[in-house]
Amino acid sequence: MNLIKGLQRVKALCRTLRVNREIEDLSETYYNQAYQHKSFIKVSLNKKEVLAGCCVLVSCRLLNWPITMGTISCLLDADSMVVGAVYEEMVKILNIKAPIINVTDVMEAHSQEYKISSVYVPEELAENSKDLTKRAVALVELAADSWIVTGRKPIPIMMAAIYLAWQSLKPTKQRLKYSLDKFCQIAKVNKHKPALKRITEMKEVLCKLGKEIPWVKEPVTPDNVVRLMEDILQHRDALLRRALRTHEDALLADCQASCEDSLIEETAPSQISEVVEQTPDLSSVELCESNAERAKQPGDGDDNQCAASEQHSYTQGSQDSSQNWGKRVLFAPPCVIHAKKRRVEQPEPKDVTGDEEISDSEIDSYIRTPREARDFALAQKMFSMSESEKS
Amino acid sequence: MQLCSSAWTQVLEGPGRSWIRSAGSSLMDESALERYFDDSIANDSSFMLGEELGLQSPTSSLQDSSYLSMKAGPSGDLGAELDLSFLPDDLSTQDDTAEAAQTQASVLDESQDSGVCLDYNSQDSTAADPQQGMSSLGPGTGTSPFCPMTPMTPMTPMTPVTERNIVSTVNLGCPLDLKFIALQARNAEYNPKRFAAVIMRIREPRTTALIFSSGKMVCTGAKSEEQSRLAARKYARVVQKLGFPARFLDFKIQNMVASCDVCFPIRLEGLVLTHQQFSSYEPELFPGLIYRMVKPRIVLLIFVSGKVVLTGAKERAEIYEAFENIYPILRGFRKQ
Repeated sequence: MNLIKGLQRVKALCRTLRVNREIEDLSETYYNQAYQHKSFIKVSLNKKEVLAGCCVLVSCRLLNWPITMGTISCLLDADSMVVGAVYEEMVKILNIKAPIINVTDVMEAHSQEYKISSVYVPEELAENSKDLTKRAVALVELAADSWIVTGRKPIPIMMAAIYLAWQSLKPTKQRLKYSLDKFCQIAKVNKHKPALKRITEMKEVLCKLGKEIPWVKEPVTPDNVVRLMEDILQHRDALLRRALRTHEDALLADCQASCEDSLIEETAPSQISEVVEQTPDLSSVELCESNAERAKQPGDGDDNQCAASEQHSYTQGSQDSSQNWGKRVLFAPPCVIHAKKRRVEQPEPKDVTGDEEISDSEIDSYIRTPREARDFALAQKMFSMSESEKS
Repeated sequence: MQLCSSAWTQVLEGPGRSWIRSAGSSLMDESALERYFDDSIANDSSFMLGEELGLQSPTSSLQDSSYLSMKAGPSGDLGAELDLSFLPDDLSTQDDTAEAAQTQASVLDESQDSGVCLDYNSQDSTAADPQQGMSSLGPGTGTSPFCPMTPMTPMTPMTPVTERNIVSTVNLGCPLDLKFIALQARNAEYNPKRFAAVIMRIREPRTTALIFSSGKMVCTGAKSEEQSRLAARKYARVVQKLGFPARFLDFKIQNMVASCDVCFPIRLEGLVLTHQQFSSYEPELFPGLIYRMVKPRIVLLIFVSGKVVLTGAKERAEIYEAFENIYPILRGFRKQ
């Protein structure tokens, strides 16, 4: 019976993944339950196999054995979207609340896939999995803090982290020359295209921190940052704090400069509003405003104008800020920093009641003339005739 | 009614931006579609209109007044809006963009449209009602129902909740010959092998309709309830002109989609931990967190960028209530 076959498949998957007995038992229990449910009892054998994989996946998650959906999809040789759909359905039916995977947890298992130890590749390119994992995990943690991880697929992130970790563990010219493509080739893994973008994003973050290293004199660029990676990761907390402070000071300086400007030109919109964003420390904003207040003291007449221009400039600024607050903070999700350009929305009439008169001419414009209809019908006939001739 | 999911999603490519299409995830299409169809078209018995319009509480009147200011300036009860402006008989050509490649980001980026929310901002900045905290104005006035704060600390401005799509249904009350309609109407599409309905579009309001042989019709793509009704009436008129005794029965708003931007990033991983019963976050499948709110019964898609899509509402008040509920939760995840 198919149920038995399905349970065997569950067992087989568990063995392949080498999970513990508890997970295997739980998976079988879930499979039994789900299989009998009306949503799954009549589905194709293919789907039943996917269901088996999903049961294993959810059990792993519940019992703290991190694996990705991608791994399961690979084992089942199924499309991850299909697996996803079955998974969602199954957790709904069985009313399971499984925790999400933590990328850093999965990293160790993932890095095992890379055949990059000295058994497989020449010494200059080899790294042992432990060092690799440790460095990659640190990088992923940094990426998570700087908004690169949330909302993204985990596997390209892990791939990017491992690649950069590998490069930085021995930043020789040779290794640095290796593109992601080549790296995946020697490590015998399938390349994931999004990993390239992740690499760029991670390097950007590393550069922002690298700039703060006191003993580095040359400018830090994506090209030379890999050499500094070890130091950056080791001191990342301190560097993060420094970078945020530097950024804050820069904003404050901008704000003060523009405060003075706005009082010189009374009607010019000031950039005070610029500061009104995600500053990690609100005291800088308060400081700026108290500066503005103090500067406003001389002459009451100025006050109103200043207030008005401030409000106006604030709304101006709020236009900018609501359009891209991401540009003014140090770290933001990349989708905010590189916001897609919107096409201009056609201005629709706002005051529609729904009961307006509908003009005949408008309706007529949607209807074919008799001539048109005849021509169209004729064309259709000819088209379908030629289609049937072809086949 | 048997539906081919892919046909449906193709059908919704058109002027009407359906979040279903733009969500990009097939697993959401299927169940959302089927639920919707089962509930609305197959059974005529309408849904329970559970919630009362929450016009009493100060917070929702805040939303209403900001919405109304967007509409026409004077504030007042939602229902009492009496601005009768006739539509110009302006048949500008339709922008025939293929919405096929639309990603969820592009739907949400719409909230960046300067046209709608920012005009409102600058118009009202001088007449600043300190209650209108949604798009707060100027240091010193910043108060909002969500974050009472010291005057020195300005609030992060945030876009108001804007309607993106309205889906409605109506019964034309007579059987229709779809082949005939497809032949006689310029704006009609009919591929019976792919989908058992005529797809018709009009320019103003820019919408798409699905017209079935039973006489039932679905209208999508409108930006407000009133526009949806107007559009549905126009489609009915077209069908009438083609010679059918079409009526306009049981017009009903089935779904409303709105979006907004809270303008700060959100730790989705944290949110799914603390609100596990309502949230589903699977970055391997979809970048957003799916939050199923129970009261009101609204589904929210929350993204790391701070953009939020709200859907599943039958009435505007539900959208606003859902937003009011979620905003304080999101603020909690603002910084780590």
